[in-house]
Amino acid sequence: MTSSPARPNYTLTLIATAFVLFWMVVAGFPFLWTTWGSFKVEADFFSRADWSNALSGVNTIRQTGDAFTMDGYKGAWILNDFWRAGLNTMLVTVVVTVLSLVLGTLGGYALARSGYRYAFWILILALVFRAMPHITLVSGYLVPFFQLNIWGTLPTAIIVLVAINQPFTLWMLHSFFLSIPKDLDESAMVDGCTRFQAFREVIVPVMWPGIITTGLFSFLLAYNDFAVTAMLLRQENQTMIPKIASFLGSIESEGNVMFAVSSVVSATVPLFILVMFFQRQIVGGLTAGAVKG
Amino acid sequence: MADIKLKGITRRWNDFIGVDNLNLDIADREFLVLLGPSGCGKSTTMRMIAGLEEVSSGEIWLGERMVNNLEPKDRDISMVFQSYGLYPTMSVYENIRFPLRIRKVPASEHKERVLRAAEMVELTQFLDRRPAALSGGQRQRVALARAIVRAPNAFLMDEPLSNLDAKLRVSTRAQIANLHHELKTTTVYVTHDQVEAMTLADRVVVMKNGIAQQIAPPMDIYNKPANTFVASFIGAPAMNLIEGHLEAGTFTSPVLTVSGLPHRHSGPVTLGFRAEDVAVVSEGGNLAAPVYSVERLGDSTMFAIRAKDDLISLKADKAASLAIGDVVRAAVTAKVSHIFDGTTGQRIEPLLIPA
Amino acid sequence: MPHKAFAWFILPSALAMILFIALPLVSIVVQSLYIEHPQVLTQVESCSPFGGCTMETRVDAAATAALRDAQPLGRFNGLGTYFNRSHLATREIATILKDTDGIADSLRRIYQLPFYRALLFTLCYTAVVTPLGMLAGFWIALAVNRIPAVLKGPVIFVSLLPMIITPLIGSLVIYWMVNSRGILGNLLQWVTQDPTLSIAASGPLTWLTLFLYGIWIAAPFSFVVFYAGLQTVPQDTLESAMIDGANRWERVRFVIIPHLVPLATFVALVQLMDNFRVLEPIIGFNAQASATSLSFSIYNDLQAENGQLFASAAATSLLTIALLIVLLFPVLIRTWRDFSRKSAH
Ligand SMILES: Nc1ncnc2c1ncn2[C@@H]1O[C@H](COP(=O)(O)OP(=O)(O)OP(=O)(O)O)[C@@H](O)[C@H]1O
Ligand SMILES: [Mg+2]
Repeated sequence: MTSSPARPNYTLTLIATAFVLFWMVVAGFPFLWTTWGSFKVEADFFSRADWSNALSGVNTIRQTGDAFTMDGYKGAWILNDFWRAGLNTMLVTVVVTVLSLVLGTLGGYALARSGYRYAFWILILALVFRAMPHITLVSGYLVPFFQLNIWGTLPTAIIVLVAINQPFTLWMLHSFFLSIPKDLDESAMVDGCTRFQAFREVIVPVMWPGIITTGLFSFLLAYNDFAVTAMLLRQENQTMIPKIASFLGSIESEGNVMFAVSSVVSATVPLFILVMFFQRQIVGGLTAGAVKG
Repeated sequence: MADIKLKGITRRWNDFIGVDNLNLDIADREFLVLLGPSGCGKSTTMRMIAGLEEVSSGEIWLGERMVNNLEPKDRDISMVFQSYGLYPTMSVYENIRFPLRIRKVPASEHKERVLRAAEMVELTQFLDRRPAALSGGQRQRVALARAIVRAPNAFLMDEPLSNLDAKLRVSTRAQIANLHHELKTTTVYVTHDQVEAMTLADRVVVMKNGIAQQIAPPMDIYNKPANTFVASFIGAPAMNLIEGHLEAGTFTSPVLTVSGLPHRHSGPVTLGFRAEDVAVVSEGGNLAAPVYSVERLGDSTMFAIRAKDDLISLKADKAASLAIGDVVRAAVTAKVSHIFDGTTGQRIEPLLIPA
Repeated sequence: MPHKAFAWFILPSALAMILFIALPLVSIVVQSLYIEHPQVLTQVESCSPFGGCTMETRVDAAATAALRDAQPLGRFNGLGTYFNRSHLATREIATILKDTDGIADSLRRIYQLPFYRALLFTLCYTAVVTPLGMLAGFWIALAVNRIPAVLKGPVIFVSLLPMIITPLIGSLVIYWMVNSRGILGNLLQWVTQDPTLSIAASGPLTWLTLFLYGIWIAAPFSFVVFYAGLQTVPQDTLESAMIDGANRWERVRFVIIPHLVPLATFVALVQLMDNFRVLEPIIGFNAQASATSLSFSIYNDLQAENGQLFASAAATSLLTIALLIVLLFPVLIRTWRDFSRKSAH
């Protein structure tokens, strides 16, 4: 049972490796399969007869003359205006991320530097807000938004997403700010800065890694949102996720399920790229929250 | 340049008092050291002067201005932090220039002033580096340069040497003394190291639990400690304190009797004497006890003896050859004895200086 | 930081939260006390050339619209919505309890009530997925900690995918694989030799699939946090435990697990909040026939074909939030204690 770390236990390593490989298949295979299938026709993607059709694309060759087809993508992006949803998503996520960070850094800094009790209560309140399902809030938006006649537009959805993201953003940035020594702001203030100058000239440059990490998560929250965008945007302003949801109702019944499949695959691409380039920051962000929050 | 007046300043957190009713007049160009054990309120006092900490009650005057409600930036002081507070994203040059840039000093003067400050602390060859690429001593000097690059009302330094190793501490200490001599700027310096206090200060404030115990030049603090706390805090080793009774000029206690004391007081007292003031004798003497420990310091030998509960230290020359368990004798004279009130611990002055 | 500076810094963020989180809460409370106007009915006499005249009741669309415009909240209903059949259903429960054929029967009948159906699924989902997801993540972390270093990067990359994927997209990807025409659905039919087997048609199988899906998206988060925790296990303590004669299990028991407990609390808290709001999987899996959650009930009310049911949605929202606060209460108490201890001298 006892073994020193100098003498690795090969059986254990082997079991561990096998388990990890199994997990990698579980975690990664669905995406591979769906991406591959998105270039086929429906008869191959849902190949009841023989699952290997999905690989070889028998029906795809029969229907389109090639083993790979862009029909699904064409149908979604061009015929069904998915490009517009893509643009809307880009606009919404970028603006939400930037605004969340601006508000969040200011607020998070104040919370990290105030020694008073009310700062603690604000954080607790933010925690409760963070816990509330978004759809509960959405049910409170609709009536006032109808009356104010601001329902359905992108700016409304953006501001709502920023506000809904605030509790999380505040917590995360607050713990990043706590890790920056107070001496730094104080030196700056003695050197002649106002509080805000100290924040902008000295603290923010040191905070960039934390801001980038938090920005990634704000981006994910905005990008992955369904409750807010599905309920608050009118048809022509829809972002990708509600658009996909509305494909499910209308297109699937017409047999064009491949439009939905290809738009789903399209919508995962940005996330893939994000993980590829920012893996370290995402992991760091999760653990920073865990260690300090 | 200006004098600093603290009028009864107090800092409270809820019911905890960090600094209690401190009154202090710091003269222009003075080098004042705040000395005391950890947690006694030294940093809090300094931070109140800087404006980084709110004052619960009392007033702070910088020159002719009452500055209680001024922002730190409007007090025109510079400060050196214990952990230096350097800006990690800026080069050494930019760090030193920062106060000039922020205070809108004409850009044409920057280069010259930064270079002059860097020269004073011997940093000219590191100007392009980031703080992360500097040693502790070099970072410390960047912090100093940033403080001296402009001519502020006062310098505040919060344990600036405590992160340096022993040798560097001595040389940087000398550098600070020299800078003060040259710039002649009012300086408040916080430390818990009595050697720093003794060597640098024009005056020392010894603090305990937020209360100033004694405010006096270093030699006065050494020669005439105001109470038993100051006596035991200043000097290495600390002053020996023996509890006993004073009656008609004679101090009696189970371990020691000293007569001929020029004090009128009678009642319970504490008698104090410094190891370096007392001679170890081979015969006679009024203090005799077995040696508890021996420390050879090279130039001298320290003996500790046990008197009731306390250890008493004695100093002998380096040739002394006593071992643990041998009986050591010493002659404690009235001349070297300090008398403190047995209950309050306050110093009782002798009536007349013995001849 | 002085109060004034604090106020300026926090202002934008606080304003956003007050306007779009706190005020909507007020709006929910108000909405839940009102109920939609009934349709305005009018008696119309319709005469046909041969059959003579009959009185007929018709919906007066114009009058209905006018009424709704004038009082968009509807008419005051007090706490009626909370206790009606779609929510707490007090009257129905009383009836069920009165003429019950034993506990199982009353539970079955209570489960027919929409609110309790949603509540049960939400609680089960949270209670199953939170611990199992954490456990799966912990195992993966332990395993990844042991594998050769070259594999670690790719493993972490792939592991992150289920976590960062949009929940609706993730559930669609899985749904297309497990439905009766997908590859996993086929596999299942082949394994059970039952060509009619369909997950969608079976309540228990739908639940199971949703739970497995939940674990699939929850495990990576626990994995990442625990894995990072394992990297920071204090080596000194581990080594002194070894010198003190602790075997592998005792080292895990007395050094590693205590080190990970604070992380586990954090992960549990976050996962609890996320699992409790489960909504997208039900839409993605098209599972509302056998599983609805509280969030889904609200979504459904707001999506209703003929007129959105604001009062009903608002009442469910408030009940959900109340439940959430009860669930979070231990956490809040603990945080408060930590804080008081820290700020006390
Ligand atoms: N923000 C605060 N809230 C409550 N108490 C505080 C706060 N800041 C300082 N204190 C308390 O005030 C007392 C004095 O603190 P201060 O930092 O002035 O000590 P110090 O003399 O500088 O000690 P050291 O030598 O360790 O730096 C300490 O007991 C400390 O716990
Ligand atoms: Mg201090």
